[in-house]
This record gives sequence, structure tokens and C-alpha cells, in this order.
Amino acid sequence: MILTGSKIKDEIKSGNIVIEPFCVEQVNPNSYNYRLGSTVKVFDGFDGDKATFKKIKIPKDGYILEPRKMYLATTKEVIGSSKYAMSLIGRSSMGRYGLFLQVSANLGHTTSKHKWTLEIVATLPIKLYPGMIIGQVSFWKNFGTVKKYDGRYGHLNHPQESFVPITQYQKI
Amino acid sequence: MILTGKKIIEEFKKGKIDISPFDKKRITTNSYDLSLGRTIIRYKSGVIDPKCKPQHEEITIPEEGLVLEAGDFVLGHSSERIGSDFYVPIIHGKSGTARMGLFVHVTADLIDIGSHGVTTFQLYATLPVRLYHGMLIAQVSFWVPFGDIVLYKGKYQNSTGPLASLTYKDFKYDIFKNKK
Repeated sequence: MILTGSKIKDEIKSGNIVIEPFCVEQVNPNSYNYRLGSTVKVFDGFDGDKATFKKIKIPKDGYILEPRKMYLATTKEVIGSSKYAMSLIGRSSMGRYGLFLQVSANLGHTTSKHKWTLEIVATLPIKLYPGMIIGQVSFWKNFGTVKKYDGRYGHLNHPQESFVPITQYQKI
Repeated sequence: MILTGKKIIEEFKKGKIDISPFDKKRITTNSYDLSLGRTIIRYKSGVIDPKCKPQHEEITIPEEGLVLEAGDFVLGHSSERIGSDFYVPIIHGKSGTARMGLFVHVTADLIDIGSHGVTTFQLYATLPVRLYHGMLIAQVSFWVPFGDIVLYKGKYQNSTGPLASLTYKDFKYDIFKNKK
């Protein structure tokens, strides 16, 4: 079952959902709108066998993404839940511009809590602003006993490139 | 919990799910198949700035179909009006569409409860693909909500065709600013 906006608000109050900072106007009928953090990382080629990413602070007057490049960014908010599973996606207003906010990895594990890394791909050139409302996260009831998340990403608050060994990247 | 096809029919009959026109043959095990409407929106070249109204053109899909090149992004729409005040709809491609490398949404599959209208497809082609009016291109599933329902009253309500992004309208609601 997917939580309604009212239930998300209740669970924020009871501490079972964390969204910081939380702004009640960003609650939707069945999700919460999150904002874009202030830095992006863009793939910058290989240094030997190591993939390198260039870190960019998004200027106030915007930063233009080029089509078909992959960028990493984060949510501005720390988002997590001890009780519910999460699905982090884009919002229709950004999807209508052809902006992917993740690359088929929407599932957030119960008990993870952090600023989520966004995998951003633009299909059209588009300007992004720091702190703009860019996507949404929904919360889902679990069925079964929850085992605490012990993954490598679920506590990180910066745009984190993959920990998958470099030999698994296709050299370009 | 996701509704089965049989439950979708029952809830449609009770008026709790809105699908119009409705054709029982389009019901699948867990969803309802959606067909592609006639109108396509293509943004004009240049950089999209979410603060400004985007320039775009409308195209009618001809009888012989409309070819998208690999890398093309356009907006389409469902022929059907869909929505529910009781369940949360989620849009998916059909596996047949996806096997041609065609995205029908760009990480925005979730529809707000209480939102009614034709749905806008965010069509992104990874291979050259020909689109036909009326082709079964996507499917919608329905999910049980948990908690009190407050219905959608947003800016895309009652769409009758594809709608380009309206982020420039959000500007007055301060979407670009950090309050905290």
C-alpha cells in the first residue's frame, strides 16, 4: 500500500518518516516533492583505470545540462524511514521536459536515511537551479519483517559515484 | 497492494475508477492497456528553462505513422481519460513498447489520487521507431492507498490532450527558492 499525503504528514510527526527540511506545501496526494541540492558531478573521463567526475557548484542563475550525459546530484533533503520502503522518482513537470532523475533504480530501502544521489540524464538541453523542486518520493507499507539496511550508499549525503569496480565500466 | 484486472473491472463498474472509453478487452492480469492519441508535442530547439514558458509545436500523427529518431523526445497522450478518487494509478510501458527501446515516461510514473484526464506520455526513443495513432503503447495499474485521502487539485487536472510542462507557473509558488 502506498501512503497518502496525510499519512506521510502523520508519520513525519511520529518520527517513522524523516524529511529534513520538511515543508508542508511540498506534500502531494500520495508523495512528497523533493528539491535539488547545490552540487552536481559530471563524468569527466578516465584517469588510468579510474573513472573521474568533475564536481560543479550549481550557480544561482542555473546550470545547463547537456543531452545524453550522465550527471550525479543529490536531494537537498535528508530522506528516510525506519518503517516504510521508498520510491524516489522525478515529477511529471520535469518528465515533460525529458529529464530523468534516476536510471531505473527508484527503490529506497527501509531504514536508509540520507540525501539521495540522483542519476540525472537530460534528453533535451535544460537549465537547472539549485534548490528547485525537481522530483518526488513515495512511501510504501512493508509486508514481512524488516532487516536493517547495511548497504554502502544509504547513509551518504553527497553525490556518490558507483562503488562498482572500474573493470565493470565500459571504457569510452 | 495492486489491483487485479478483475478488481479493476469491478471498481470501474462502481464508478471508483474512471477509464473512458472503457473496453473490457484491454484489461490485463494487473492493469489496463492505454492507446496512443493523435496529437504529439515537440519542443522547439534551444535550452529548456523551467522558469520560462517553453516553445513547442503540435503535430498530428499521420495515417502512415510518425517516425521518432533515436534520441528524440516528444510528448504524446493516451486516447483514454483515466483517474481515480480511491486508488493511485501508475503508468508503465507495455513490454512490447519497451522492447523497441521506447520510454513512455521519464521517471514520472506516479499519478496523484484524484487526478483525472488523458495522461501525457513522455516519449523517449532509444532506437528509430514509428508511432501509430491508436497503438497500444502503455498500461496503467491501480494501487491501494494507506491513510486519509486528499484529492489532487493541481495544474494538469482535466487534460484533454498532451500538456507541455507548466513549471513556469510554479514560479509564483516559489519552487526555485529555498525557504530553509
